[in-house]
Formats: sequence, C-alpha cells, structure tokens
Amino acid sequence: MSTESASAIQKSQVDLVDFVDWSGVECLNQNSSHSLPNALKQGYREDDGLNLESDADEQLLIYIPFTQVVKLYSVVVKGPEEEGPKTVKLFSNKEHMGFSNVNEFPPSDTAILSPDNLKEKPVVLKYVKFQNVRSLTIFIEDNQSGSDITKVQKIALFGTTVETTDMKGLKKIEDH
Amino acid sequence: MVLEATMICIDNSEWMRNGDYSPCRFQAQADAVNLICGAKTQSNPENTVGILTMAGRGVRVLTTPTTDLGKILACMHDVEMGGEMNMAAGIQVAQLALKHRQNKNQQQRIIVFAGSPVKYDKRVLEVIGKTLKKNSVALDIVNFGEEDGRKPEKLEALLSAVNNNDSSHIVHIPPGPNALSDVLISTPVLNGEGGGSDLPAAAGGNDFDFGVDPNLDPELALALRVSMEEERARQEAAAKRAAEESARQEKVEEPSSNSQDATMVDSADDRASEASGNNTDPVQAITLSMQTPGHNDPSVHDVDMSEATHEEEELAIALQMSMKDESDMSKVLEDQSFVSSVLASLPGVDPNDPSVKDLLASLQGQSESEQKKKEDEPPNDEK
Repeated sequence: MSTESASAIQKSQVDLVDFVDWSGVECLNQNSSHSLPNALKQGYREDDGLNLESDADEQLLIYIPFTQVVKLYSVVVKGPEEEGPKTVKLFSNKEHMGFSNVNEFPPSDTAILSPDNLKEKPVVLKYVKFQNVRSLTIFIEDNQSGSDITKVQKIALFGTTVETTDMKGLKKIEDH
Repeated sequence: MVLEATMICIDNSEWMRNGDYSPCRFQAQADAVNLICGAKTQSNPENTVGILTMAGRGVRVLTTPTTDLGKILACMHDVEMGGEMNMAAGIQVAQLALKHRQNKNQQQRIIVFAGSPVKYDKRVLEVIGKTLKKNSVALDIVNFGEEDGRKPEKLEALLSAVNNNDSSHIVHIPPGPNALSDVLISTPVLNGEGGGSDLPAAAGGNDFDFGVDPNLDPELALALRVSMEEERARQEAAAKRAAEESARQEKVEEPSSNSQDATMVDSADDRASEASGNNTDPVQAITLSMQTPGHNDPSVHDVDMSEATHEEEELAIALQMSMKDESDMSKVLEDQSFVSSVLASLPGVDPNDPSVKDLLASLQGQSESEQKKKEDEPPNDEK
C-alpha cells in the first residue's frame, strides 16, 4: 500500500533541472576538467563518460539555486560503484556554505547511498523538510571505497514547484 | 579584469631590516604592496584588497578587503618590524578574511611576501595548499629576502598543492640593483595571466604568432594570420585533390607539387615557429613562405605591384597566397568580399584608393583565371 502511494506521489513529480538557476550554481573542490555541468545538465548527465570529479580530496560541495521555490521529493545520484558518493548531506536554503562550516548546521536530510542508489534508484527525502526550497546545498562527504577522488555521473532532483508568479509571464493589461 | 578579492600577507619580521634591497627589505616590500594595490583596484573598480601582517605580536589584520586605496596606504605607515613570520597562520587568517568578503562573486586570492626563512615542513605547506585549493583560493608567492637552500623547494611544493589551472604563481626575486616593485611589474603576480592590459608590458617578454605584436601592427598581424589559415586550408584541400587527381588525368606537375605541398606544410610550420621565436622581419617570413616552389600557375606571381605602397604590397602578397586555393573556388569568392571588407576596416588603407582598387581587380582576375585553368584551358593573362 505504502509503495503504491509512494509511486503515486512520484508520478506528479517533475525533474527540477528546468528550474535550476544556472548563473548561481557553484561547486567547491571540483576538478576543472570534470565539472558540475557534466553531472547536472540535460544531455551531459546521460553520458556516463562525463563525470563530476573531486579535486584535492574526496569531498564535494555543490550549491544549486532555483529560479522559483520548489518542493523537493527525491533525488537520484548516479555514480561508479567504487568512487561513487556514499554519505550525502542536503541543506536547504543555506547560501554560500564552505567546507569549514558545513558541519556546524544540522543537515535538512542525510542519505547514505547504497550501490542500488548509485544505479539510479531514487533516494526519497524527508518531504516535510523540503517544502520551501529556494536553494539546495549538496555536501558529498565521502565515497564508497574511500578513495581520494569521488566521481558522480548524474544528479537529478525530483519534486514539484510551488505556484509562484512567473514574472516573465506577466503581461501588461491593455487599456480600454 | 577579473573580479577579485585579494589579501596581501606582509612579512614584518626582524629579517626585513636587512639592506640587500634598497633602502631596506621592508621598504621595498611596502613599495611593492602599494604597486599591487594600485594595479588591482585599477584593473577592476570593484576589486577589493586587504592587508595583514604575519610577524610582530602575531598575525594581525590591518584592513579587511576594501576598495579604498587611501585606507590601505595609510595602514602601511603604521607597521612595525619585529618577531618572526608565522606563514601558516597568516595564510589561514587571510583565508578567513576572504571567506567573509562582502561580494561573494569575487574570486579569492592571497598574495604572500615570503622574506624570512620558512620554518615549516613541506608536508604542512602542502596541506595548507590543498585546503586553499579546495576552497578555490588562488595563491601568489613572492619569494625574496633570505635565501636558504630549502626555501624555494618548499614554496614550490606549496604552489603545486594550490595551483588550479595556473591561477597561482610564484616569483623568485634575488637581491639586486632593481627595485622589488620593478621586477614585479613584469610578473604574472601583477598581470593576471601574463600580458598586462593596464601596465606597459615588458619589452620582448611577449610571444606572438609570426613575431609581430598585434598592438603595434594590427593589419599586418591580421594579414599574416589570415594567410596562414588560408594556406593551411589550401594545403589540406590540395592534398585531397592531389589524391583524387592522381587517379585521373596525369598532370606532370601534380606529383612534384604533391610532395612539395607536403614539405611546404612542415616547412611553413617550422618557419612560422622560427619567425615567432627569433622575431625575424615579418616581410622575411612572408617571402620565405612565398619561395616554396611548384604551384600549377606560376604566372599568378606576376602581379603589378609597382603602384602599391609597401604596406599594401605585403598585404597583397599575403592575399595572393590565400587566393591560390584552386579547389575551393566558392570559398575564395566569398573571401573576396571578406578581403574587401578586411581592407576597408584597415586604418591605413583607403578602399577607394585607385591602387587598392587595381589590386583587388587583379586578384579577382587571377581567381577567374585559376577557375578557367582548372578546366584545362590555358591560363588567361591578368588584366
């Protein structure tokens, strides 16, 4: 029963990649030749050869602002079996975090990814914590095998939008 | 013109009293700092610079990143020498100061003046470097003053740990007659990625294709570049065409021109690199490339150049070379309009000048004649 309702909810979720505000997207500790768009953007993320890789050590800090307020339901993180991420902490509406203060706030949700998750099985989040999300910070703390480099092939976010006014759609009313 | 927030870490330890840089190391350092602040704020008005001292009673921040040059210069007056430099703490405090910058869009950069000996282990420095890289902070190191054997090594290790895409640099400045600031002018510390736009570039320190500075002679550089590209395209096309035509009717010149074309590609590349390396006369470079033998229509060389001025002559020769593309006539004809638009945009050339018009017409005549020759008719005389 619960799985049916879970899948029923999931049907109304959309892929939030269309609502990402690309001008504000940031990723700390990424390898410049294997950067965040490889994992996040349509097209690039489908290509398993294009990964997001970490640089100096295995942690990654990804900041994703949205163009409007969204509710986040689930997240898909796809990666290789060994260097794929393991512990993933999500923070909603915290701007400009750094590695030094990432452990000072409690995360909105924490996910320990299993090998199934790395094969695109979605991780369902605590929906109540993500009702009003303007920006999402993803902190990848370590990877499956403990290697020095974490590789991520795809990050997809699923949820719904809150009905906010789309300013671009507003049209001037003609005077009669 | 990168938007940057910079923290400058000054060494004000006892070692700075030494006089091997005039008047003393500390003064030379202060001048260099003033120079850097000026350059940073000039290159982008929103850039901020902050200063901290690493020695004395401990690491002390004199100013947090600010755009106010006067405030920065005023702070430099109050600095006193003494104690020992604490580089690790200095860099960490600088990192913290940058983290709390007001404009989060600014890139973070730390400039460290390392005048006294470095007492840390290489490993400690590498860890510091990695933390900086992880937080995308760039680091510039100015190594001057005390020279002990291990110092340059350690600083290089720090640099390689931080360096991400060549955004970080190290400069070694031995004591000498030149002031610290003068030496710094020509380094990437002041010029971003080398080749400063605001400060006059050091003479002979620039590498350009063809040995011609585009700032000094833009039309010549443009013409050379255009002809080089056209030449390369023509080479490829000629090689393809030669392969096809070898199965077709025999042209006696084909095999010889094929091999000559192949050698010409190599030799043209060599010459181009030679020319840029030795800064040879650009006219020489053009004539060198012109000297390669074995083209199907040597008559094309004869263009009436007597009316053209010297500059136009070089331009015309370069254009000729590009006009020799036999196989891709449509491309050439398009280039014709491109050529005239290029000529029109050049400052020294007036398209209505009769000599220029003659040139253009003669080039057009050549291309027509090449086209006819392609159909195995004898070449027409140029007009």
